[in-house]
Amino acid sequence: MRVPLSWLREYVATDATTEEIAARLAISTCEVERIIRQGVADDDGNLGLFRVGRVVEAGKHPNADRLQLCRVDVGEREPRQIVCGAWNFGEGATVAVALPGAVLPGGQRLEEVTLRGESSSGMILSEQELELGTDHTGILVLDDGPEPGTPLIDVLPLSDEVLELETTPNRPDLLSVYGIAREVAAIFGGELAPIPGTDPERARDEPVDVRIEDLERCPRYLGRTFTEVRISSSPPWLKARLTAAGMRPISNVVDATNYAMHALCSPLHAFDRTKLAEGRIVVRRAKPNEEIRTLDGSLRALTPDDLVIADAERPVAIAGIMGGEESEVTEETTDVLLEAANFEPVGIQKSSERLGMRSDASNRWEKGIDPYVAEDAARLCSQLFAELAGARWVGESDVRGELPTRPTIKLRPARTSALLGLEVAEDEQRRILESLRFEVGGDWNVTVPTWRARDVTRDVDLVEEVGRMKLEDVPFTLPARREMFGRLAPEQRHRRVVEDVLTGLGFYEVYTPSLVADDPHPNAHRIPQPQSLDQAVLRTTLLPSLIEAARHNLDVGNEGIALFEIAHVYLPNGELPTERIRVGGIVEGPYPRAKGAVETVLAAGQIEASYERGDHELMHPGKTATTPYGIVGELLPGILEGAWSAFELDLDALEWSEGWTYEDVISYPPVKQDLAFAVPEEVLAGELIEAAHQTVPELREMTPFDVYRGEQVGPGRKSIAFRVEFRSPERTLTDGEAAGLRQSIVDALKAKFGAELRA
Amino acid sequence: LDAEAYRQEALAAVEATSNAGELDEARVRYLGRKSELKQALREVRDRETGMALNAAREAIEQALAARQTDLERTELDRALTEETVDITLPGDAQPRGHLHLITQIRREVEDIFLGMGYEVVEGREVETSRYLFDALNMPPNHPTRSPLHTFYLNGDVVLRTETSPAQVHTMEEREPPIYMVSLGRCYRRDTPDPTHYPIFHQVEGLVVDDNITLADLKGTLQHLLRSLFGEERETRFATHYFPFTEPSIEAYVSCFLCDGAGCRVCKQSGWIEIGGAGMVDPNVFDFVGYDPEKVTGFAFGWGLERMGLLRHGLPDIRALWENDLRLLEQF
Repeated sequence: MRVPLSWLREYVATDATTEEIAARLAISTCEVERIIRQGVADDDGNLGLFRVGRVVEAGKHPNADRLQLCRVDVGEREPRQIVCGAWNFGEGATVAVALPGAVLPGGQRLEEVTLRGESSSGMILSEQELELGTDHTGILVLDDGPEPGTPLIDVLPLSDEVLELETTPNRPDLLSVYGIAREVAAIFGGELAPIPGTDPERARDEPVDVRIEDLERCPRYLGRTFTEVRISSSPPWLKARLTAAGMRPISNVVDATNYAMHALCSPLHAFDRTKLAEGRIVVRRAKPNEEIRTLDGSLRALTPDDLVIADAERPVAIAGIMGGEESEVTEETTDVLLEAANFEPVGIQKSSERLGMRSDASNRWEKGIDPYVAEDAARLCSQLFAELAGARWVGESDVRGELPTRPTIKLRPARTSALLGLEVAEDEQRRILESLRFEVGGDWNVTVPTWRARDVTRDVDLVEEVGRMKLEDVPFTLPARREMFGRLAPEQRHRRVVEDVLTGLGFYEVYTPSLVADDPHPNAHRIPQPQSLDQAVLRTTLLPSLIEAARHNLDVGNEGIALFEIAHVYLPNGELPTERIRVGGIVEGPYPRAKGAVETVLAAGQIEASYERGDHELMHPGKTATTPYGIVGELLPGILEGAWSAFELDLDALEWSEGWTYEDVISYPPVKQDLAFAVPEEVLAGELIEAAHQTVPELREMTPFDVYRGEQVGPGRKSIAFRVEFRSPERTLTDGEAAGLRQSIVDALKAKFGAELRA
Repeated sequence: LDAEAYRQEALAAVEATSNAGELDEARVRYLGRKSELKQALREVRDRETGMALNAAREAIEQALAARQTDLERTELDRALTEETVDITLPGDAQPRGHLHLITQIRREVEDIFLGMGYEVVEGREVETSRYLFDALNMPPNHPTRSPLHTFYLNGDVVLRTETSPAQVHTMEEREPPIYMVSLGRCYRRDTPDPTHYPIFHQVEGLVVDDNITLADLKGTLQHLLRSLFGEERETRFATHYFPFTEPSIEAYVSCFLCDGAGCRVCKQSGWIEIGGAGMVDPNVFDFVGYDPEKVTGFAFGWGLERMGLLRHGLPDIRALWENDLRLLEQF
């Protein structure tokens, strides 16, 4: 929403500067994106270099067929020689001139130049060059009134400031200059002008044939008819305002509808009445297979979900979105039907979305426009039709369903203060609400103005109205607490431990997308209409994403790659997937690299784990283990260059030891020994260890430190060397006792695995 | 033997030694088994001579010990001087990993709120529209409900567009008071660009208690913003609109780059928009069965990526998902 300050100040009297207005609106009303300086810069006397000029002589440039050589009186002793590229004027024309040194709206500084051998000391300006419109086909020819040398600013609105606002969807009333003026008046206490617009004299009282078939989608249709309309271009002030407001001037009639919409919010549309079959307006749903060519030249296929404005035969506009080409106002138009209607937001939104069409009008209707404003907009537009196009108002019809009533809400002023945490005096609350045009009764029954009726329906909504005007006065406090204690839940603490252990091991934490191109799980949840094929499936495993992240780092030449991620996975389970938190890791190096990381993580939580041979589609079948918590293994060769290993554990499943008790490991030192067993190749070290522990409770540690294969153990066998510790919690073991325990292990492993003690 | 002359000769000899070998020679010569002193001691007959000889022996032993200490110290000094290394050469490489920037911010935010006595609540990412939209007072035609903005899995199963459903679950499960934050992934159909990615992280905060005020919300958010962006920062709050809060506000922090003067980061305004907040809408309380006449509350939901990008001057949000070690190791 763009609000030219010159327009705004027409509706509200305030001494506040543009910057002050912007700053306060930003706090109390809506976001202010920026302040735009529109038109000619008003500093360093720049405006004084723009003058009214009269062309005293004009002819072809002697050295250039496409240029005119002019002598222009700009109120100086001698006329100036100016070279001009336009031909839409001649001797005697009154024009806008910029003198050398002037800075044009685009920032360009005008210099005295020589063009094809002729000097040019100034520039005759087009309206586009002055940002007064979009016409650049010729220069701007002025009315003959003003004397040469008159400052141009006295004749044209050369310079303005524009507020660019970002309003919230609950405040369609702010999509109007008058609505912003109402806020400014409330904020600064300035006087708000009456709603602009005065009806012209009504020449006749002809009926206008308006029928509404769908009062839900169109609760009101006010049609006015005009004759003797003379279509022309709009005067400079109107073009300047529309241009500053971000709209393109088209013709006096169309500009008048846009001006009234921008002033008062309610969109309007003008039809060439002679193009309407039987001069009739029917507001109805489109029929199957109906189509319409809209103003933008496109042929649009309609459905019965679309609301249209039709004449006696066919659609002439898509209601609230865009008019039709056939009934468009053209230069030949003399009879106009002005539509000032009201449309329900949801239907407009759906049609606009389905048709892929958005317009200034649909953007407003979608937010829900006050149906009572239609008549105000019609009044202002009618006044402009009469003033700008000499139109005669000859008929009116106002068809309406039941229009919403104004809510009345009981406000408790004490609750306002309580909710804001700021004592706001009752008088002040009343003043604020009344300045926003709420009617406040003596009993604090507050009646909401029509343009806020959708948004303000409860007392808390009124509290917000008061609060937004006092936001900067609200102090900074903290809740006065009754109870509650801040602490992480055990699983949240554990997660941090895992993160810290892995970063301590040199792993980098990564974040990879939880939506992936594909997933090994056949029933993984798919997004029916993904945004991109890369992000189409909710993953059930982190490993493929980690491999991708590792590959990316390899590709860019990084070294020492060790990555981990903690994230949700989504396991198919009916409608809602089961979400689990997983930790996954990938590291350059063979199986023991990843397994070492897993062991360290588990050790941090004193978590027991056993490892069994496992299989996984991404992992080496001989170098993969499953644990009760997940998987660890070496990646299949070829997935990434070199040897890589990876793991993925279910964080929620980890059984952390909590509150374990002290064990005396100091008073009675252990007996340490090295033992080596020769076993068949398929026997796992873990199996030997588990069996030994089961046999001898005093066995505290049994850690493999070497594996040997070769002549001394023979084919098909291997030797595993262990570091063994025996310890009793009650006394120091004698050498003899230790030897006995050792023998028990030797016997047990021999019996179970055919293990032979070596050396 | 003249004990005194012997003593003086020995002490002079000891003093004259310049290394451990010479010292050993002196020891053998003056105190060894064949030394004049030892021989004299063996032959001593009277007590007086014995005492004199023993005194000389003790003096020589002390001198030898003292000289030995001196020589060792000298030797050590020499060795230390010779063993100098280039102390600017790098130390042995130690593995050092890094937490992702988002995790670091997540922890900071968690710790700020833990310090104020809040709990951290986990939430699911796949939700039903009941918890994502209905409970949050989103009207049926609210644009966020459109499949153009939200990922639908099927029917009314959606990927959460904000962390707010965690609030609703918490309120459904227990009675006030509630002081909670919830942090996690959210999803929106945004086309990736420097400030958007379809997956992002939010921190959601909710307080419900007796007499919670807008002032409490301002104070809490100011504490959060100053903790994250610097104690000297100023904050500003502007009116806004969200279906689930009333009144609603948007929080701004004074630009930490230009300190409010206007620069590229704050788009010349001096203020940086951080995110939305407000007093919990009575309709949300109605949904979970709380009485809005008895309790009030506030809520906010802010993007973690945005905080990270702003605070560290990172120009492109997509870099956070590329996981290049060269970027990760900067944090």
